Amino acid sequence: MAQTAYSIGSEKEKGSLRRIVQKLLSQKYLYLLVLPGFLLVLVFNYFPMYGILVAFKKYSVAKGIWDSPWVGMKYFDMFLSNPMALRTVKNTVLLGLYGLLWGFPAPIILALLFNELRILWFKRFVQTVSYFPHFISTVIIVGMIKELTSLDGLVNQVTGLFGMDPVNFLSESQFFRTIFVSSGIWQGIGWGTILYLAALSGVDPTLYDVASIDGANRWHKMKNISLPSIMPTTIILFILAIGGILGNDFSKVLLLYNPGTYETADVIGTYVFREGLQGGRFEYAAAVGLMLSVVSFIFVAITNGIVKRFSDSSLW
Amino acid sequence: MGYKQGMGSRIFDILNYAFMLALVVVMVYPLLNVISLSLSDPDYIALGEVSWWPKGFNTKGYEIILSKPQLYISYRNTLLYASVGTLLTLLLTSLTAYPLTVADFPLKKFITIFLAITMFFGGGMIPTYLLMKELHLLNTFWIMVIPGSVGAFNVFIYRSFFQNIPSELRESALMDGAGDITILFRIYLPLSKALLATFALFSIVAFWNEWFNALIYLKNESKYPLQMFLRSLIVDDGSASSQYRNLLVNNEVNPKNIVMAAIVIALAPILCIYPFVQKHFVKGAMVGSIKG
Repeated sequence: MAQTAYSIGSEKEKGSLRRIVQKLLSQKYLYLLVLPGFLLVLVFNYFPMYGILVAFKKYSVAKGIWDSPWVGMKYFDMFLSNPMALRTVKNTVLLGLYGLLWGFPAPIILALLFNELRILWFKRFVQTVSYFPHFISTVIIVGMIKELTSLDGLVNQVTGLFGMDPVNFLSESQFFRTIFVSSGIWQGIGWGTILYLAALSGVDPTLYDVASIDGANRWHKMKNISLPSIMPTTIILFILAIGGILGNDFSKVLLLYNPGTYETADVIGTYVFREGLQGGRFEYAAAVGLMLSVVSFIFVAITNGIVKRFSDSSLW
Repeated sequence: MGYKQGMGSRIFDILNYAFMLALVVVMVYPLLNVISLSLSDPDYIALGEVSWWPKGFNTKGYEIILSKPQLYISYRNTLLYASVGTLLTLLLTSLTAYPLTVADFPLKKFITIFLAITMFFGGGMIPTYLLMKELHLLNTFWIMVIPGSVGAFNVFIYRSFFQNIPSELRESALMDGAGDITILFRIYLPLSKALLATFALFSIVAFWNEWFNALIYLKNESKYPLQMFLRSLIVDDGSASSQYRNLLVNNEVNPKNIVMAAIVIALAPILCIYPFVQKHFVKGAMVGSIKG
């Protein structure tokens, strides 16, 4: 609005200019308020984007990122021709896929079952207990996993009942994904029900009553009333989850894996951490990280396109 | 609900309640196991006989962990990071969100897009690390509390909360000669106590559980948060107890006594407040999703 004032004749220009100045002055505090947030985001979110250039450079601390010499796509070629590194791509995708396959339906089923509980205090109690793991730190979760999967831990006691020999699960690469995904479900299944329960609580209760009169049983009501009512939530969360397949919680992997299980456990995030921060190969690690970001972004963009088709709510 | 229930329905109910009880068992077992191991006699631990409740009784694990200065240092650090960090994020997020609710603020659209972009693009671990290095923030207190204090997602949630406050309040306060800073602190924030309380809780828990940034950015143990202390016990198990070899040899304590005691001490505060504030967390989870 302010700009259109300029085009009106020079007589009015003075008046409107004063109005603009007046408005700027009256809003000066708004600029002041927004300034710290703006600067923080500029420095801590945008400056690192500029730092991505390091993936195309031979980085020298003395010269800084800009004056370091260019090397083109060298580090990308290096990654793509390294079988050990490509293993991390496979592991990232598989860990994400298994997590989605098992971890996504779990809270939906649990929410539907919660919804069938009629003793309210019991329902609240189970919900409260099932939400709690969400608040336990990754470090403690890993401590618990180590204990449960140790040679004299619960898992070996149970498998022992079936006559199996005790196994040190965390040092066998074939068990890593199972441990990672199932502990993830333990952490997230309860908390994950919240959005579905919110959708279920929005269902008009007379629908169930009317269905009962028409002779519908519990199963019919769950299938034909409850399930459709959480469908919009399910679709959006599913598409978001697909977008997040590559973003495994690698900090948990970092605590859980060891060189003996790298074969299945080493994901792109942990690889970047080892090569870059521990090995000091900043350029190479930044290049690997960049590739992951680009692919992740393409995932999000594609899924957002699908969201748009399915519903009014999309990411942009 | 007054309609007669069929046989199938009753069987379903029984199975459902049984399943829920099993779920509670599965959720609670790892916690009980940790507590039991922390208190059990080392002999029973060595035999692998401890599961649901303590066998024998032994507080040596607690004595040893409570005698470690690093426990107190890291506990204090976590309390500092959590309190300073939470105050900073509440303040800075409010400051950033408020101007975005003023309809004729010229930068509204620019700032919104500027923030939204960061939800989809970022520099990644390595460029961020190099930036911190160049800013000389590595191994400082501030690196734990400043970089994450303003997040786009939170700003947008605050904004939509503020938008529910009638803008007439702001306009009449302006007429009365109040500035925007006064309006934010005297009108908007007092009306947003529920929002601030919920976000404070989430922030405190996040700081309580934080360890990864500490691993990357901090070098001195004297700056480590609690979770880093725990990590040293859990991930490099054994090394933590090497100073107590004579106790271990005499079988007065099992390394698990020590590690589990540390976990109990780290988890206790969250476990104690959780039942009382759980409602707010649930509300917060739904607020976040509406905007998402």
